[in-house]
Amino acid sequence: MTDRTASESNIIVEVEGVGMGPAKPRAIRLDRSDVVVQAISYVTITLFALFCLLPFVLILSASFSSEATIMKTGFGLLPKDFSLAAYEWIFKAPRQIIGSYIVTITMTVFGTAIGLFIIAMTGYALNRKDFPFRNHVSFFIYFTTLFSAGLAPTFLWIARDLGLRGSYFAVFLQLLMTPWLIILMKNFMRTVPYEIIESGKVDGAGDFRIFAQLCLPMMKPALATIGLFLALSYWNEWYLSSLYLGSTVEFKPLQYHLYNIINTANALRNSVAGSNVSITNLPSNTLKMASAIVAIGPILLLYPFIQKYFVSGITIGAVKG
Amino acid sequence: MSRNGTSQARKSLLRQLADSKVLLLMCVPAIVFFVIFNYAPLPGAWIAFTNFNYRDGIFGSPFVGLRNFEFLIKSGQLWLLTRNTILYNLAFIILGNILQIAIAIMLNEIRSTFFKKISQAAMFLPFFISAVLVGVIAFNLLNYDTGAINALIRQTGGDPIKIYSTAGAWPLIIIMVHLWQSTGYGSIVYFAAIMGIDRSLYEAATVDGASAWQRIRYVTLPSLKPTFIILVLFSLGGIMHGNFGLFWNLVGNNASLFQTTDIIETSVYRMVLSQNNFTTSTAVGLYQSLFGFALVMTANWIVRRINKDYALF
Amino acid sequence: MHRRNIVRAGAALLALGMSMPALTAGALAQDAPVEITMLTMGNKPTNGRLEAMLEKLNELLVAKANAKLDLFYIEWADWQTQYNVQLLSGDDNVDLIGTATDWLYAWENAEKGAFLPLPPEMLQANAPKTWAQVEADGHWDLTKLADGKIYFMPEDNYTQYTNHGFFYRGDWAREAGFENGEITRFEDFTKYFEWVKANKPDAYPWDVAGANEAALTGYIQGHTDMHPIWGLSAGNYFPFHTSAAAPYTVTSWYMEGDALVEAAKLAKQWNEIGVWREDALNFDGETREELYAALSGTDQHHTQTFINDIVNNMNTKQPGSDPKFFYWGKENGNFFKDIFTHGAMAVSAYSKNPEKALQVYDLIRNDKEIYMLFNFGIEGTDYVITADGKLGRPEGWDQSTMDLGTDYWWGRTDEFELPRTTQAPNRAEIIAELDATAKEYPYSTLLINKQAIDPTLAAMSGVLSEYIPQLQYGKFDDPAAAVAEMRQKLKDVGYEDARASIQADMDAWKAARGL
Repeated sequence: MTDRTASESNIIVEVEGVGMGPAKPRAIRLDRSDVVVQAISYVTITLFALFCLLPFVLILSASFSSEATIMKTGFGLLPKDFSLAAYEWIFKAPRQIIGSYIVTITMTVFGTAIGLFIIAMTGYALNRKDFPFRNHVSFFIYFTTLFSAGLAPTFLWIARDLGLRGSYFAVFLQLLMTPWLIILMKNFMRTVPYEIIESGKVDGAGDFRIFAQLCLPMMKPALATIGLFLALSYWNEWYLSSLYLGSTVEFKPLQYHLYNIINTANALRNSVAGSNVSITNLPSNTLKMASAIVAIGPILLLYPFIQKYFVSGITIGAVKG
Repeated sequence: MSRNGTSQARKSLLRQLADSKVLLLMCVPAIVFFVIFNYAPLPGAWIAFTNFNYRDGIFGSPFVGLRNFEFLIKSGQLWLLTRNTILYNLAFIILGNILQIAIAIMLNEIRSTFFKKISQAAMFLPFFISAVLVGVIAFNLLNYDTGAINALIRQTGGDPIKIYSTAGAWPLIIIMVHLWQSTGYGSIVYFAAIMGIDRSLYEAATVDGASAWQRIRYVTLPSLKPTFIILVLFSLGGIMHGNFGLFWNLVGNNASLFQTTDIIETSVYRMVLSQNNFTTSTAVGLYQSLFGFALVMTANWIVRRINKDYALF
Repeated sequence: MHRRNIVRAGAALLALGMSMPALTAGALAQDAPVEITMLTMGNKPTNGRLEAMLEKLNELLVAKANAKLDLFYIEWADWQTQYNVQLLSGDDNVDLIGTATDWLYAWENAEKGAFLPLPPEMLQANAPKTWAQVEADGHWDLTKLADGKIYFMPEDNYTQYTNHGFFYRGDWAREAGFENGEITRFEDFTKYFEWVKANKPDAYPWDVAGANEAALTGYIQGHTDMHPIWGLSAGNYFPFHTSAAAPYTVTSWYMEGDALVEAAKLAKQWNEIGVWREDALNFDGETREELYAALSGTDQHHTQTFINDIVNNMNTKQPGSDPKFFYWGKENGNFFKDIFTHGAMAVSAYSKNPEKALQVYDLIRNDKEIYMLFNFGIEGTDYVITADGKLGRPEGWDQSTMDLGTDYWWGRTDEFELPRTTQAPNRAEIIAELDATAKEYPYSTLLINKQAIDPTLAAMSGVLSEYIPQLQYGKFDDPAAAVAEMRQKLKDVGYEDARASIQADMDAWKAARGL
């Protein structure tokens, strides 16, 4: 049920050779083809990077525009009649948004920590060549990507038999791990030299201690990468919430709250002002955009710090161990 | 397992268990997780063969054989969903990989570390946002009254386009959005692969007087082949599974676009949630699992025959 | 229940530190008041009025039945989904469930086991007043499945019309050239819409949001003698119909006749005029508020809404707008009175306190003090009784922002309803006019064997939900071809067999009644 299985799977490949760090300098002489290729590269990459960025600029500008002008002339790249009205509405009665933030942050922190620990533990065990059941367990986990019961049976099981509808746990638990993340962790674990495990054994350390004290500290980029995947899946979650929470909870997870705001005018009104205002008085369009900005905010802020780890983590994961 | 008599095998199994009990214990949380959330609901797929009601429960409801599948086939819906799901995935896989390779190669050509960092940061960004936000962005761009594209068209004196009722435009839109979201991220893998190419190959090529084009054509691309094949094979495993969040948030309940945008996941979601229809939706899900499973197995079998190294399992 | 609690406890251990409301609810002292939760449809108000009312109400309920009431809202956003998902989830925190046979899947959910069957003795013991009144009117038969058991309590003692139609502005219609601002035929709205389009640049002629089929049903009802068989739904559609000419012959306007094509052509014309926004299918606004703000020339809902809300709101917010109502079938008298199960209350099959739930319901339905409090709020702040005995609103009260929002449509009673100052002054005339022409719905006791046709209904729902919204919004280039295509698909998924099966039920029902 994760949206990202396909892309996560991208990393689980083996790349020929090991090469880290920047490319070695090549021959100094640049012929014309080099110049052409470089020119093309700079231009294309610039264009593509802009293509990736522009939509964010659009939303940001829209959130700072005046509703009346948007209604008349539509969205554009620059704020139209710069206005803070949308943000004023949001911060006037921030109860809903703050509640959603707390729910989402709590889930993300606990979910990432617990999930990461279980995934690392499992990945470690599955990578141990002397673990006789590694193939059985691996297949047991992998099989779930091939075969699933489907939406209705899963819903019936979790909502009715487990009685989890209306509970944050229905969302929290289901996001703890995915098969791909375990397999990815298993790949990462290959980068730990077997000698380390051997030396641990010689010192008489148990399997768990070898894992916790010797391997984990060496796995920081891997933990950062997988932790980021987990954190993203918690942060961006709306789908399970729509199935298992609906309107049963007062504070919806952030993205589901946003989903409701975007899709129903009334949710938008309740979010910013309770029922104490008529919908026709709200700057609906710009408010939606401002809410979107508020919902991505932390990611944009954390992003520069995460990026470094993320790239190096994926690069290591992609490299044959 | 050993063939030297069952008692010995059992003993060795017990010993194996004893020897690896800690490792096994470390797997237990994950195993429990998949048992609870993936294996336990599996028998529920029986709903596909029943006329389900919740008083009698999944196994007490009347058995109706293949009737639920019959209607799916008769209405042509199953074919439409299969076609859409597979075609979208093929487009994602093929175009996605080509674009990722192109971006990776070009990134490698760029010398300025600063430029590389900044551009990578911009290209990754879309990967970090939720499907809900992707929907917001698309609506901001595409809607008739206030969408940025139509605003631009109006300013330049043109006639605005009715994008949300033009089914034909959506394959293009959905593919573009998918590429927008996944290319920057996906290109890292290829970039890493390029970094792993033995530098002496490039030096030799340069000495032989190869142009930049030729170096890409004869050194880089061939070296990326294994990565490419493995990535494609991996994605083929999921060819019957669509990215629900993306499609749902882009299209939602807009019936005028279903012909070109309805995939298995969105159809099942609508059936369960707006039509309260558990039986047919489960039938679709079961078909998806079985058909997907068969596809993966066949593909893997073929690959295994051609080159064992590339096989998934 | 036991297993469920084990799992809950296990889950709680697994992920430490998060609070789970469900866990804490269990352990209450024996004599503490029983908390009864009522599921209702509507947007949970956040203006504090509801909480204030509930506090007072619960004092009364504790005194009279040692119970407390809480409301659980299924929000209008996505309501079909969330209603069915909620009932399906087997949630034991909900005790009373508002339902309806014609629009809220009461039969479907009764059949699927979501409602507790209510034996007469249980009703007599715990809801004696309700029992006596419904029994005296002979209406229990309207709430029984084929097994002969009662599954809900009907709102059968309350006069209302929920026949749908257009609200429009008499002042604009007059300027558009209609005499007295009266529009008398469905297709005449074309002229009204064109005038609004040309003269009111800020307004959509009819701002409408999301999937909808009003533009089709409105036309068909006024141009044929066909009418849906209520309670036989395929998703959000009623795909089977009868006609006044042949009341016991099952047919479908989706399949037979030219009316659908004509309606679709008219819709296409409206779409070209720009009656609704181009992206109406993706629009999510509150169109009634748009009408109140003069941003829309038309809104679509039923008589009850017109009498209670539209007239007063339009007169205060758009003085001189002269709000009017055109209902489907006005041209030819082809519309029905409300059935008695247009609102009803069921007890959840999972309720832990079904008896107490019935007691609470009996009080809400039959105790005047509780009824007034629950429906209208606190006297003085939420409502006032005027000198002439009408129910009025205090100075400065605005429905858009100060509504109590109990949304109770599952057992109102005429006895306690006062005329309201906010009601249309000509309410009596409107009702009298409708009473004169409306027909009695004849099929209230007709039970359809849905087991046999469920997959067909599901498949038909899939087909209809693809075509009807597009026909309604005039999005097909060739409506006739689209209708033909849709009909073929409906045939392919077994329309004929389903129709024959329903016809057999109809024949048996007819024979049993000697009709």
